[in-house]
Parts: sequence; C-alpha cells; structure tokens
Amino acid sequence: MSRIYEGMFLIDNDTVRAGWTGAKSKVIELVQKHGGTIHTARRWDERKLTYPIRHKNRATFLLSYYEVPQENIPHLIRDLDINETVMRYLLLKADAVPDEERKLSEAENATDFVVPEPPADDAPEEREFIPTEYDEDGEPRPVRRPREPREAPKESKEPKESKEPKEVKEPVESAEADGAADKDKKEEAAEPAKPEPALASTETNEDTEKEG
Amino acid sequence: MAFGNTKKPRKLNLGLKPDDPIDYKDLELLTKCVGPQGQIVSRRRSGLNAKGQRALKQAIKRARHIALMPFVG
Repeated sequence: MSRIYEGMFLIDNDTVRAGWTGAKSKVIELVQKHGGTIHTARRWDERKLTYPIRHKNRATFLLSYYEVPQENIPHLIRDLDINETVMRYLLLKADAVPDEERKLSEAENATDFVVPEPPADDAPEEREFIPTEYDEDGEPRPVRRPREPREAPKESKEPKESKEPKEVKEPVESAEADGAADKDKKEEAAEPAKPEPALASTETNEDTEKEG
Repeated sequence: MAFGNTKKPRKLNLGLKPDDPIDYKDLELLTKCVGPQGQIVSRRRSGLNAKGQRALKQAIKRARHIALMPFVG
C-alpha cells in the first residue's frame, strides 16, 4: 500500500553548482528506484545552516511530495543514508499534496525559471537567527545597541559659543522691563563685552526689591 | 495590603487557534517560541493547550534536525 510523504532534503551546494536539474534528478531517481511517484519537487530555499553538517555551513533545501509503497521506505532511507549528495533528510507522512506546492513546483519547471547560484560556503547570511530575549518578568527585551563613545572636546566648545549672545541681550531686556533702572546701568548695557549676565541680573533684582 | 508577587509572565501573541497545525517550515512562528539559548518556551508562556504545545515541540525538533533552528544558542 502506497501513501503520500513529504520529504525535505538538504543537498550539497557543490552538486547544485554543477546544475540544479542534475541535483534534483538525483533525489527524484532515488525515490523512483523504490517504486515511488513524484507529485511535486521544488527548491525550497538556499540558506545558512544553524550548525555545520559534514563541515558545510550552507545547503540547498529540496521540498518534495511523493508516493511510495510503505514496505519500501526502509530501503529508501538506507539509500538516502548512503547517498553523498543528500546531506540530511526529513521524511514525514502527509495527508495530501497542498495546492500551493503544486503551483510552485509547476512554476519551477517552467523554462524561464532561473536558479541562482549558491554563494560560497563562508558567505555571510543576511537572515540570521535572532532569538527573542526575555527579562526576569517574562517580557521581551529590546534589542541591545552598542553605546556611542562620548566626545569630550565638543562639550567644552559649546558653552563658550552660547554665552556670547546672552551677554549682549540680557542686560538690555532687563533694563527695559524694569523701567526704573539707573542711567549708569543703561550705559553699561550699551557696552556689550564688559558686564556678565549673572551679575547684571542679580543687580537688577536687588534694586527692584529695595524700591518695592 | 500586599498580596505577594502575583506577577504572571506575559503570554506570547502567537495568533494561533487551538487546532491550528504548526509547521516546521514556519520559522517566523517557531523563532518566537524559543528562548535566548534556543530552549522551547513553557506552556505557561506560550499559552498553548497541551495538544498545541506537543505540536510546537514536534515542529521545533524537526526544524532542529534539518539545521533550520539551533539546538543551543
């Protein structure tokens, strides 16, 4: 009695570089050798492995749905173990072939479908596995970013520049607002460089208090 | 009045219904259900029922077997 199985095969990238159709046919022939019929077979992905298998860091994933007599499964597994192109496999029972898989495998069989060449084995992976981190309360932690080094010289420069315009403006405004400031103070306000802002403000306050 | 630490861990929003199948190829979902060292989160945290948690465990272990997910780290 035959039934439908789902198979995920990790294929060595060296054989994929020689040609995708050749690499794919090696797996298909293996299934057909044991009396199986292929429903769908497509390139699922090419990605970095989370741990090296046979000293390889990358592999191409072939996803296929096929029908094989149940008695022949142990023989198929034995052949897959011996095979060198298949690095690892996962065989599962399936109820039916999904419709999406049929469409995608048909699209791959089209003539204009181009399989990109797999990158070098030590090429960096864009989609790295980043597990979410949780704190003691069980809430997800925000992604940590490295701190930027503090720049000391900039801080020393900024206050000097900011003080200069204040020295000119503040005494003039305070003098106008009070209205009762002395003539001497107005003369001091006209000269921009000499009086300091802190002193000028304290003087005006004291004067107003005295008057009041 | 203090009633002790009654703070419960926040449940993961997996967006799964009770009988939804969990596929080993659905890495977007599976990576949510894994701790910082790659350990499977508890039912207390995932919020799944016993059947769903078993399906999740099975899916993560299958993904680990074909090197889609790490065993550790």
